[in-house]
Amino acid sequence: MMDDSVHSPDDALQPDASRSSNTVTVSLTINGEPVTLEVEPNVVLLDALRERLDLTGTKKGCDHGQCGACTVLIDGHSANSCLTLAVMHEGCEITTVEGLARDGQLHPVQEAFLEHDAYQCGYCTAGQMMSTVSMLNDKRIGSDDASVKEAMSGNICRCGAYKNILSAVQSARAKA
Amino acid sequence: MTESIIGHRTTRIDGELKLTGKADYAADHNLLGQVYGYPVPSTIARGRLVGLDLEAARQSPGVIEIIHRGNFPALQHSDNNPACGSEGRLFHSPNTMAEQNKVGEARLPFEDDGIHYEGQYIAMVIADTFEHARAAARLVTARYEEEKAVPGLFQTDDEGEEAGDEAVSRGDPEGAFESAPVKFDHTYTIAMETHVAMEMHASIAYWDGDRLTVYESTQGVVFQRNAMAQIFGIPPEKVTVIAHYIGSGFGSKLFMWPHAVITAVAAKMVGRPVKTVLSRQQNFCSAGNRPASRQRIRMAADRDGRLKSIRHDSQNETSFVDAYTESVGSGTPRVYACDNVSVSQRRVEVNHGTPTSMRAPGEVSGSVALEIAMDEMAIELGMDPLELRRRNFAERDPSADLPWSGNHLRECWDDASRRFGWEKRNPEIGSMRDGHEIIGWGMADATWEAMRSHCKARVELRADGKVQVACGTQDIGTGTYTIVAQTASELTGVPIERIEVKLGDSTLPAGPLSGGSMATATVLPAVAGATRDAIEQLKQLAIADGAPFEGKKADALTFESGALSDGNRTLSFAELLDKLQRGMAEGEASAAPGDEQDKFSFRSFGAHFVEIRWDPGISRLRVSRVVSTIDIGRAINPLTARNQVEGAIVMGMGMGMFEETEYDPAGNIYNNNYADYIVPVHADIPDIEVELLDNPDFNFNEFGARGVGEIGITGMAAAISNAVYHATGKRIRDMPIKIADLIAS
Repeated sequence: MMDDSVHSPDDALQPDASRSSNTVTVSLTINGEPVTLEVEPNVVLLDALRERLDLTGTKKGCDHGQCGACTVLIDGHSANSCLTLAVMHEGCEITTVEGLARDGQLHPVQEAFLEHDAYQCGYCTAGQMMSTVSMLNDKRIGSDDASVKEAMSGNICRCGAYKNILSAVQSARAKA
Repeated sequence: MTESIIGHRTTRIDGELKLTGKADYAADHNLLGQVYGYPVPSTIARGRLVGLDLEAARQSPGVIEIIHRGNFPALQHSDNNPACGSEGRLFHSPNTMAEQNKVGEARLPFEDDGIHYEGQYIAMVIADTFEHARAAARLVTARYEEEKAVPGLFQTDDEGEEAGDEAVSRGDPEGAFESAPVKFDHTYTIAMETHVAMEMHASIAYWDGDRLTVYESTQGVVFQRNAMAQIFGIPPEKVTVIAHYIGSGFGSKLFMWPHAVITAVAAKMVGRPVKTVLSRQQNFCSAGNRPASRQRIRMAADRDGRLKSIRHDSQNETSFVDAYTESVGSGTPRVYACDNVSVSQRRVEVNHGTPTSMRAPGEVSGSVALEIAMDEMAIELGMDPLELRRRNFAERDPSADLPWSGNHLRECWDDASRRFGWEKRNPEIGSMRDGHEIIGWGMADATWEAMRSHCKARVELRADGKVQVACGTQDIGTGTYTIVAQTASELTGVPIERIEVKLGDSTLPAGPLSGGSMATATVLPAVAGATRDAIEQLKQLAIADGAPFEGKKADALTFESGALSDGNRTLSFAELLDKLQRGMAEGEASAAPGDEQDKFSFRSFGAHFVEIRWDPGISRLRVSRVVSTIDIGRAINPLTARNQVEGAIVMGMGMGMFEETEYDPAGNIYNNNYADYIVPVHADIPDIEVELLDNPDFNFNEFGARGVGEIGITGMAAAISNAVYHATGKRIRDMPIKIADLIAS
């Protein structure tokens, strides 16, 4: 398989430094690990995660904050990672889908999504789950179905697995 | 095995990968030395490109190359030169389904200087980073000779060109219409829709000498492999297309689009892997759409509600680049008993990107018009809309004049109407109220033809106790990985945890497109054949000289729960292979449809019952309840199958209430993004109750499955429109339904 020989995230994708300009050093914590990035100021957090750090579990669905596929937690709060620049997060703690499971054990939200088939293609799923984690910790949001649906409406699922996502969210709430 | 895993609710075997971010979608691959492509789209919809100024872009940081008409390889028509491999030349793909090399747009990128739609590629910048490529692409300026565009089907008087192979006629539709006592002549329209799969189209290409490897978000690795081979004039064995995971496609990723060709050329030109991810805006322009359609239905019945005549004459949009026919009327001659039916289809060229299949292509658009027409006929007759359909139930396929292999539409009507409470419906318009809200109840039938194609598969019983199944089809989110594993588990008795499934790689035994609801019926028989072959190979190994069952007859050995037995001695296949010092027993199979299509007509049916609530005080329309019963033969995995139908119902709500790709008079899309192109979100979702009947269709294949992806969307928008009529008395024949339609007096 080609991936074994060619895929090498560690040394992939280093920009051509001679023609790059104005890079900024930013230090942040991602899924508990300290990370230092050298990026130009216009690199958005989503692209930094995916293209510089090979954390590709976070997906790009629109690049405009319209679909929610790129949702991550920034200092515990959900945010569209496509709408924020990497350089704005010096010292921040970022949690991505790769940071949900602990010690090989799925997070209760992940377990609920598996059991309820709360996805089809899986592309919006990271964003759905990160929004779920954030919402379940947000005391301002009611626990009834209507409140959950309203709160989750920034996360589009074009496959339309909404019914199962709602079931998974409520099931994860019960277990939390 | 005591209990069958076929038909058993099974969580996805790829679920954990998807839930932990480890499932590798095309753009998730980051290759050593990879650079980025960013397309430059035409900003006009029609005219000629007369100049490109690339200088500012060339000076921009990180730019490696800019690809455009001036340096793109020249086209050589393959029919002029059948010899392959001419260096520096490209060929047209023959673009056929039969040869499995169909593409989304036949014109090669930059093939001529004509501009046929907004967003057509005029250049692609290659740079060291995504940001650099994007910044430079925005510095490219173009000069055009602009012509007046045809912005859409509804903005032109062009009648279009007849698609002759779509024409159907039986009986005397015109005469029967004239003499019938109850009749009408109405026109229906469906807006252009865009698939907007969550994952944007993406392509990563690299060359190793004369071998091309492509990571693509595609519903057909074999089709793209073949098309690439044709275009580059190289043998298909030298092209590998990989799509392990796909962020769905709904048809938009069935056939290759031009960005993949530019990316592959770019990779050759710069000698490095090139990654191109289309922007969401670009996805709207050059990666397919469901074309707008205009449908005239002339329907007549006798006073008892027996259909006497249906004429269904439609037009659909196509591009100026390809002649795409949307088979809008294809279901009309088949679903109801009527002796006098005709269907025709015309294509009208507009300045849009080429349309393509979108979930239940053609038939869903036709079903919306036909099912609204049925409701109108019921109103004309003063008859319950369900009763009208019962009176026109087709006992056999009236178009093919064949018996149905299984038509359980009556059971669907009975089950769904009972669960919905249809008998409590007061037929009087606007008579059902709940506080501020007027409640409307409507129904429509759903239907989709069952199709099956040919497929190969390979199965390995391995010394480590695992079973590996390989097939060059894909899982676009429908659950193909899981049903393949269920099949191998069923036939080997090996628990599903020990079944590994390899899909989404064109080097695997050739599998079908993931489309048309035909993957299940196509793939599983091949997987079953390969599994049986592997078991047979294992038996042959087991009875060979010096082997544990030496001297026995192969057919005297049984294989159950992963173990071979002669009645006295039982060995698991892992133990046996270990003793034989063999790595695996390998089986292969091909499967294809037989002559069953000559004996039966294969079609799935279902029924949707919909409740809407219209609040005239605040002009709010919502779907509040959907009850559907669908017969798809057997659901291999009811968990994922029901999810498919529920998702299709949601997309049908989009078709009925939200979705419309809108063009300005110059032919530019003005809602080319997820905020302005409205799709259903969590808050829109009503109570959806789907039941799947379990009537295995063993005439179709040994598992009785007819497929499930499309049927749920058919009829759905019509059921909503019919419910809206029941609430408001406003007959909406143009999809999507708009609030403005309802508040107009």
